Amino acid sequence: MVAKKDTSPGTGKPGGNAVSEVIRLRVNHAWHEFVTGRDIQPSETLAYVLRERLGLTGLKVSCDEGACGACTVIMDGKAVLSCMTLAVEADGHEILTIEGLAQDDPVIAAFAEQSEPGYGTAMQCGYCTPGFVMTAKALLDANPHPTLDDIKEALSGNICRCGCYTAIAQAVLHASQKISTRGGAHE
Amino acid sequence: MSNSFKPRVPRKYVGGYRPRIDGLDKASGKVKFADDLTTKLSFPDMLYARVLKSPYPHARIKHMDTEAVEKLEGVRAILTYQDPEVKKLKVTNAGWTDGVDILSYERMMWYPMRDRRVIGDCARWVGDEVGLVVAADTEAIAEEALRLVKIEWEVLPFVLDPIEAMKEGAPSVHPELRETNVLPEDPVGGPDVFLQKGEVDKAFSEADVVVESKSVHHNPNQGSLDNWCCVIEWKEDMLTVWSNSYEAHQTRMHMSQMLDLPLSKVRVVCSYVGGQFGRNDTGEQPFFLYTALLAKKTGRPVKFRHNNRESFLNSRQPAIYTARAGAKKDGTITAMTFKSIGDAGAYADQTMFALKFGPAEIAEVTLAHIPNLKMEAYGVYTNKLPACMMRGVANSQFNLSFGQIVDILAEKLGMDPIDLAIKNFGHEEESLPNKSLVEVLHEGARRIGWENRHKPGAGPVYEHVRKRGMGFSFHPGWHAEWQEVRRGRIQVSFMLNPDGTVMLEAPTVETGSGSNTCNFLGCLEALSFLAVRPEDVHYSPVVDTERSLRDCVQTDSSVSYLQSEAMMVAAADLKKKICELAGPKMGVKPEELDIEEGNIFIKASPDKRMEVKTWLMEETDLAPIVATVNRVPLDLNTGIPFIATFAEVEVDTDTGEVEVLKLVVLHDCGTVMHASGAEAQQLGGQVMGLGEALYEEIIYDEKRGVPMNFNWIDYKIATMADFPPVDPVLMEIWRGGGEYGACGIGESTLTCTPRAVLNAIYNAINVRVDELPVKPEKILKALGKI
Repeated sequence: MVAKKDTSPGTGKPGGNAVSEVIRLRVNHAWHEFVTGRDIQPSETLAYVLRERLGLTGLKVSCDEGACGACTVIMDGKAVLSCMTLAVEADGHEILTIEGLAQDDPVIAAFAEQSEPGYGTAMQCGYCTPGFVMTAKALLDANPHPTLDDIKEALSGNICRCGCYTAIAQAVLHASQKISTRGGAHE
Repeated sequence: MSNSFKPRVPRKYVGGYRPRIDGLDKASGKVKFADDLTTKLSFPDMLYARVLKSPYPHARIKHMDTEAVEKLEGVRAILTYQDPEVKKLKVTNAGWTDGVDILSYERMMWYPMRDRRVIGDCARWVGDEVGLVVAADTEAIAEEALRLVKIEWEVLPFVLDPIEAMKEGAPSVHPELRETNVLPEDPVGGPDVFLQKGEVDKAFSEADVVVESKSVHHNPNQGSLDNWCCVIEWKEDMLTVWSNSYEAHQTRMHMSQMLDLPLSKVRVVCSYVGGQFGRNDTGEQPFFLYTALLAKKTGRPVKFRHNNRESFLNSRQPAIYTARAGAKKDGTITAMTFKSIGDAGAYADQTMFALKFGPAEIAEVTLAHIPNLKMEAYGVYTNKLPACMMRGVANSQFNLSFGQIVDILAEKLGMDPIDLAIKNFGHEEESLPNKSLVEVLHEGARRIGWENRHKPGAGPVYEHVRKRGMGFSFHPGWHAEWQEVRRGRIQVSFMLNPDGTVMLEAPTVETGSGSNTCNFLGCLEALSFLAVRPEDVHYSPVVDTERSLRDCVQTDSSVSYLQSEAMMVAAADLKKKICELAGPKMGVKPEELDIEEGNIFIKASPDKRMEVKTWLMEETDLAPIVATVNRVPLDLNTGIPFIATFAEVEVDTDTGEVEVLKLVVLHDCGTVMHASGAEAQQLGGQVMGLGEALYEEIIYDEKRGVPMNFNWIDYKIATMADFPPVDPVLMEIWRGGGEYGACGIGESTLTCTPRAVLNAIYNAINVRVDELPVKPEKILKALGKI
């Protein structure tokens, strides 16, 4: 367990025992404090805390064991599986969930609009979609002009049972174009 | 992509390429699924239920000691198989309905096979819910509680293989019901030999060519990401259920009947569903019942949610098919037989429906011109995961056999299988060739490059070991309107507000199939006489039995048009009502009025027009105008169109790996309701189609009867990296009845894929693999390399 007690910028109480340790999570640009043992349990995953304690239900818990990607959020700029991350591990870290993206975020817009002939729509049931959007967002932040192979590589940890892979890849390419047109990604 | 679909009848809204209506809400994570609506924040005093799952494939509880469970802090209620409220529950089964119609306990489809107790004392597969449920403050405590229960099991003999299970002396899966594991003849599907036409034996003896085949379809899982769940609150005499069931009214009926409550005292609220795919389309589920009983016992809302591993609740109905076909030298097929053995798993579900109803329907709409025909089917209990429906009831299994025997026969006759198909197959009320089949197969051939297909095993070899081949399979589509009559009344309603905005009521739980988008487009199309714009329509996706009309269940892939057809009737009624209101005020009879493009006018003087919404606001009592329609689907036998998949594969003869290079997926839809959504289905279905063909499989430890891979690390679902180029082809050749004359396609997008891929593999390597999924070791075995 790697709660960074003394060095993390946002950590509340230095040292301290496990029962009363304060965990601070910066979620969508706002700090949230939790006292372990009282507000959260050390065994709780980041996914659980985000959904059940903060009500951020955009991310989904489906497999709960790192196989499907539906719970993907961005932590310190990287796509992570929030079901495989303990909340205490995220202490002091910057977390972005889909609720933290702007309504006109180019990735969201590209997924929503995807409909041109030959590709289908970028989602059907939509349960996996927030996970794909966040994975795609992290990819585009790091690589604003990915090739189709780059996209396949980055998004192959996410499962879409409805099978909208062709359209999702296309939506990521469109998002890349939108970012270029707008002159940079923004949250 | 080139060759995009062009509608036969151009319409303003229906049929085009456009985003989904819920695209933005889904892309931004705003859509609330049942699990999102039922967090601890929304239900602070909520408890969590867990159920005991059997570790044995067949065992009976001799004794259960729950003392430690009761003492565990945080456990709020337990229910065991010995409690009176559990014992009181009627013996049920997993075959109430196929999702099409709402059915009661007495009228459930498979009433002769009531084979399941809710939380009984006997387990019949590893994972069977048995013995005990608990409600606790957290899921973790509830799980801990299950670990503390002490059980003395009587471990019973079990059987996994359906052929072994049929043999005399095999361990009986339901000894208290039947000695044999072979399911009885059923009242709906008919006797074991359920179809017999002409003189089959004579026809075979007179045929110039006779061929035989065997195919084994297996047990893929639906794999919905949205694990099935419910939260139930039972306050005073009112029971409220929030769930991701896609059958709101059937769920209400099930709970009312099993818990002996008036329908008016059961409220079921269903929001979006994260993928259905046939997952327990059977109109019942024990978890609703025991969660309700725990809610009653505790007086608190109780949540039950399967985890991902428990979501392996059922699979496609595995089936072993043997087929035989006889033909004249000129390719006229004179006789066909199909025999199937279906592996029901531990509970019968809709096994016999899958084995009999589906093929019987295909006989009617595809094999009608084969003069001598025989079909027989047997369902068998085994101690495995119950098998049921998955994106279709029986079509994939039948197609695996049908597409194979056509391919084998064509080769033996020295014919192109496309020509053989066109020469022989079509609907009973039409002459051959079937126009839809001709166009679908010829378009598929053109797009895959069929003229380059070589003889089996005779194609070029790449990198010394990689061999290419092409294959196809075809099938009748299904779920035209006349096939949906059993659904009963489709209910929709328009409420026109005086400012011209519209409240659309067309209840259907959105599972991803996009019927909500189709309904929205259908509404705009139907109300085009009022010039209603997309921003004028309010349409709630949540079905709530307390206020909703009957939900049109998104099974049979047909909600895309069923409610839109009803809306055309509702629109005519709405127009009539507006004219009836306006007539007296305008000093004319209502029938002398008409409405176009949002303006009302006297037909005799069409130049003088008044905007409807202006008139409503200025001249009326401002009450909304409501048009509600109950419409039974049109019972007009229009036949059915055809569908096909063409595949090109490359087989590595050193490793046995199969790479699918390209798929062409063709659907004659009658009318395309939403082109982007339909293509999404055609493309997306290939994740399952290819999964069934090549990757997905539930594997058992044969010695212990334990399923080994109820998780998505070991159960392989294709990702983006595995997905090949797919050419989706929408066509409008056939036409059904009604305004649109459409049919469903969602289920059928994957029906032909496994067989197309397997025929292509044969074409590549000149050896057939009969059994799904075609994993590398099966190829190597077929090639004699291992």
